Amino acid sequence: MKIQLELNGDPHYVDIEPGESLLSLVRRLGAWSVRSGCDVGDCGSCTVLLNGRPVRSCITFAAKAQGGSVTTVEALGTPQALHPLQEAFLEAGAVQCGYCTPGMVLVAYDLLTRVDDPSADHVLRAIAGNLCRCTGYRKIVEAVRLAARRKAEGRWR
Amino acid sequence: MAVGTSKRSVVGHNVTKVDGPSLVCGRPKFTMDIDLSGSLVGVILPSPHAHARIKSIDTSAAESLSGVVCVLHHGNVSRIAHTTAGQGWPEPSPYDTFLFDNKVRYVGDKVAAVAANSEQVAREALRRISVEYEVLPSLLSVDAALAAGSPAIHDETDAEGIYDAAGNVAAAVDIPVGDVAAALAQAEVTVEATCEIPYSQHVPIEPHCTVAYFDEDGRLVVRTSTQVPFHVRRIVARVLELPLHRVRVVKPRIGGGFGVKQEVLLEPVAGALALRTGKAVRMVFTREEEFVSSRTRHPMKVRVALGAGKDGVLRALEMEATSNTGAYGAHALTVLSNVGSKTLPLYNKPHDLRFHGRAVYTNLPVAGAYRGYGATQGYFPLEVAMDQLAERLQIDPVELRLRNHIREGETSPIFERIGEGREGVAQIVRSCKLEECLRLGAERFGWREKRSAPRQRGPLTYGVGMACAMQGSGITGIDMGAATIMLNEDGSFRLLIGATDLGTGSDTVLAQIAAEMLGVPVEKISVYSSDTDFTPFDVGAYASSTTYVSGTAVLRAAQEVRSQVLDVAAAMLRQSRDTLEIHDGRVHGSAGKSVSLEEVGHRAAYVVDQHHIAATASCVPEESPPPFAAFFAEVCVDRETGLVRLERMLGVADCGVALHPRLAEGQVEGAMAQGVGHALFEEMVFSERGRCVNTNLLDYRIPSSTDLRSLEAILVDSYEPSGPLGAKSIAEIGINGPLPAISNAIYHAVGVRLARAPFTPGRVLRALEGKG
Amino acid sequence: MRLQGVVRYHRARDTEEALSLLAGYEGRGALLAGGVDVARSPRRDVEGLIDIAGAGLSHVKLTERGGLLLGATVTLTELVESRVAAQYCGGVLVETLSLFSAAPLRNMATLGGAVVSAHPWADVPTLLVALGAELRWTDGMERKGSLEGVYAGAFRELFRNAVLTEVRLPPCDGGFAFYKLRRSAADVAMLNAACGLGVAQGRIAWARIALGATPTRGRRLPWLEELVQGEVPGAELWEEVAAQVRAKLDTGDDRRATGEWRRKAAGPLVARALAQAVERAR
Ligand SMILES: Cc1cc2nc3c(=O)[nH]c(=O)nc-3n(C[C@H](O)[C@H](O)[C@H](O)COP(=O)(O)OP(=O)(O)OC[C@H]3O[C@@H](n4cnc5c(N)ncnc54)[C@H](O)[C@@H]3O)c2cc1C
Ligand code: FES
Ligand code: FES
Repeated sequence: MKIQLELNGDPHYVDIEPGESLLSLVRRLGAWSVRSGCDVGDCGSCTVLLNGRPVRSCITFAAKAQGGSVTTVEALGTPQALHPLQEAFLEAGAVQCGYCTPGMVLVAYDLLTRVDDPSADHVLRAIAGNLCRCTGYRKIVEAVRLAARRKAEGRWR
Repeated sequence: MAVGTSKRSVVGHNVTKVDGPSLVCGRPKFTMDIDLSGSLVGVILPSPHAHARIKSIDTSAAESLSGVVCVLHHGNVSRIAHTTAGQGWPEPSPYDTFLFDNKVRYVGDKVAAVAANSEQVAREALRRISVEYEVLPSLLSVDAALAAGSPAIHDETDAEGIYDAAGNVAAAVDIPVGDVAAALAQAEVTVEATCEIPYSQHVPIEPHCTVAYFDEDGRLVVRTSTQVPFHVRRIVARVLELPLHRVRVVKPRIGGGFGVKQEVLLEPVAGALALRTGKAVRMVFTREEEFVSSRTRHPMKVRVALGAGKDGVLRALEMEATSNTGAYGAHALTVLSNVGSKTLPLYNKPHDLRFHGRAVYTNLPVAGAYRGYGATQGYFPLEVAMDQLAERLQIDPVELRLRNHIREGETSPIFERIGEGREGVAQIVRSCKLEECLRLGAERFGWREKRSAPRQRGPLTYGVGMACAMQGSGITGIDMGAATIMLNEDGSFRLLIGATDLGTGSDTVLAQIAAEMLGVPVEKISVYSSDTDFTPFDVGAYASSTTYVSGTAVLRAAQEVRSQVLDVAAAMLRQSRDTLEIHDGRVHGSAGKSVSLEEVGHRAAYVVDQHHIAATASCVPEESPPPFAAFFAEVCVDRETGLVRLERMLGVADCGVALHPRLAEGQVEGAMAQGVGHALFEEMVFSERGRCVNTNLLDYRIPSSTDLRSLEAILVDSYEPSGPLGAKSIAEIGINGPLPAISNAIYHAVGVRLARAPFTPGRVLRALEGKG
Repeated sequence: MRLQGVVRYHRARDTEEALSLLAGYEGRGALLAGGVDVARSPRRDVEGLIDIAGAGLSHVKLTERGGLLLGATVTLTELVESRVAAQYCGGVLVETLSLFSAAPLRNMATLGGAVVSAHPWADVPTLLVALGAELRWTDGMERKGSLEGVYAGAFRELFRNAVLTEVRLPPCDGGFAFYKLRRSAADVAMLNAACGLGVAQGRIAWARIALGATPTRGRRLPWLEELVQGEVPGAELWEEVAAQVRAKLDTGDDRRATGEWRRKAAGPLVARALAQAVERAR
């Protein structure tokens, strides 16, 4: 079947399998940042924003994206021009292996879109569904709060 | 947060992780992030039985399925005994594994493999393979395996290096020093603790994955998520009967390893399927397969007996370990040895010691390397026993550690007696800031106040506990790491390393060492790591070796390149090279004269006396300086439900000079997080038939953010004279602390000793009721 | 994605279309709301998926008497963020759903999906049973029934050929509280309890007590409700509750906890939920 969607601002009209996952679709379309850690909705590493809200793409049917927009970290920044949130992740040491990072960044992005100055507790709860095995989360929380401060200073896109 | 500062310009600073910008942007850096259209998908048929002989196998229905290209099983591959443990050569683990065997030894063991042009077809083909099994009695516990009359799990005649195959003992160790029995008998006080750790899994968020294909010259290329690319090359070549030089192993970024990717699991299968089909083959473990068919921590029961004087100083120390290695002996001997070798030297006062133990085969999943590598299993009872001793003698637990722990300039007979599956090497501890760790940690944690009285609020009781640990830095006399550095004509450098960054940040730390020595910022060092065709040899990422061993190799290569640079600069400046210095990207001479590295590079490449400025250096460590750490935990125990909540976890560590403090803290924090998982949540549960039943991340719980509300690492100032720029290791030690610290904290709170991990609400309640 | 073998994906515009599509598949079709459970299902016999997210079932309305009308495809996030839902019964709905996994799943999962999936460990059934929810569904005819009654029957069979359209929550005149014991914050329950009661003249006038993940799906404990009715709430009663639950509750093992532990922990859990409900009722 064919669906129409916007991926990171680019319109696509693509053929999908009726039972295909959004994870498989966005990777086929070149969003390599979206990666599987379990494929059944338990880890959060495949998180994308669907119509502005984080969802787990491995258990989202691609067909659900019909007429909608999908955002992945590819839309935030590039290695040469990082988004302030990505910058904060690096500065705080929130990236170790980096496998969970794209999902984590998107969940944090969603939080900061909604809440200006989240407490540490608020951040902990917001990222609670995204598993990271490397960091112990402390530096991820620091990164999100650092980014919130930058946002308050008007450094945000 | 780091205490203390550094005078150096690159090391000791939190430079941007060299792979950070691309990782945080999600660039395609991982094994599976390449266009795989056209490649075949490989999948493995797992054994449904814990122990069975394969009487016959019929693959015709699978082969006739459209899209199936190849089916491999014991009947159509060579039988070559090997070990999947990626270790140095000669390998200390027994050769008890075959690509496919006519016997299966645990639920999840490999029976056959299929390559097909889609995953769906491949999995359908698996369902169509019919296998006739002769089911054998399954030995689902160490006791069952050791019982008289039990069948031998490894009854094959072509296995090598098994300690006692008929008795199901993969490995055994007995190292007496002095006469521990007599010393225990004479000691004024003795305490004993026996602690048990169950099956648990590493759970890297990226599962094992491999792509095998042929390059334009017909060489087999294995792009794989591994910690040990050079061992993968050796083992794949052996199993597939290829000359080593026909195999190239490429390690892209890895999504976590923690030891489970020190195992060579998918690579030989993918390689065999690629060889047989002539096509590219990709394989990825599902999360379920990751649990069932990859590797685990060695479940262990470890007993510790301490003898001490009334002053709390230890006089006797005995440790006995019974390790379950599962169906194969990967790391059986070395993990077992490490239980003693990485723990006993910490308290070096007793002259009478003994470490003994066995690693036993069972029909359960295969254990392997896991961060901490035995030390984690050893510290649990050791530090619980120390807590018991402190209580008996009414000495504060911190004070008791201070009276007993090893100091700078001291040694322990254990260093010499227990090595990596063989004799060790004597060494003197040259850096040990454990006392500072203990004092600073106690102060930051508020130890004295919190320890004096457990707080109580309704059914909740708060308690605090602590523990200490050490580890090593590489394997003395065995590990080897090498590095190549080349000057580009624009004054930048290429650093080629076989060392394997599995998320630890070692590429960054090694670049920092090179940058520091060559007087340039890290951005001027392009790091290329882990490709057996292009980078020098390195044993890989394990045993906390990379910073210390590979780092020393980088340091040496940088010194050599620096010297070559100085030769050229001396000629350019017409000054003696002895007076030259490199910093800020320039070689500075006397009288304010200098040349840039770009000018040096340009001249060497194009102008006069052209030559390639480059050097390769290696390091085989002569010692393995231990990092040290003190851990403090605060828990809240719900006496009515048995739920334990971790309020705070603090680790204070001495890793020598922290070359990149933030990355070093991150190692301690991440390792402690895994340790908390061991303590509170993680356990693989098996059915009566030996099948792991909690094979997903909903049922097998690893810590999530809210479980670690306050988890913090602090590094103390230290300097290791034998290490590169003063550094030793940090990656493993953090995992050793939480189990005993949390067990001790629960005891402080509610007066029950939890000796079986994890400390689930059910176990806590039962213990509370037993107390009455 | 565990589900394999799907050949068609439909978007139903209304329940009627959904029903007729469903009928056409003769058992080889499945309704899809958020899709969380459908995607995780190991089934291989589903050929057609019928997406009902756009079938006009996502309303959240307060009735005049203070009850709630909830469309079956309203997502849990929509409920958590709904002002209307927050007003209902001291916010117990929002309180419960905030303990539900994490935002990305709440953004996907629907109330109807949770009701129909009815995982034994799920929180939604326990709460809704305690609240006395009523369901509306259609199988060609508009039908209604209490959630409890539906769960007591062959409801899985029922929803193979019917579309759940609405969950109705009655006006709430007492205090309700929801408690969940879990290993870890983003975890599903090892035990959950929803308790509601009304207090008159210092005594418990009525009580509704549901316990879930025992390890079976949330259900009421009528004998316990009777036991507390007419009693004076307080520490003494809670102790009695805990003791009785321990003596009488039927529990079992699952992958998260043992039956033995459940029997011991359920009492204090119910007692705590009751104590909190009393505070809210006052
Ligand atoms: C990781 C994870 C954590 C979870 N944590 C919790 C938790 O903490 N607490 C909790 O309570 N639950 C929890 N759940 C379960 C969750 O409630 C359900 O998975 C979810 O609500 C299903 O909703 P859905 O809309 O995605 O259902 P779908 O997958 O779309 O549908 C589920 C089933 O219901 C049927 N169905 C859906 N809508 C209708 C309808 N209107 N009429 C008839 N049939 C219908 C479908 O055919 C299917 O059989 C968790 C689930 C996961 C995966
Ligand atoms: S891969 Fe989607 S949640 Fe794990
Ligand atoms: S950084 Fe490795 S899983 Fe999070």
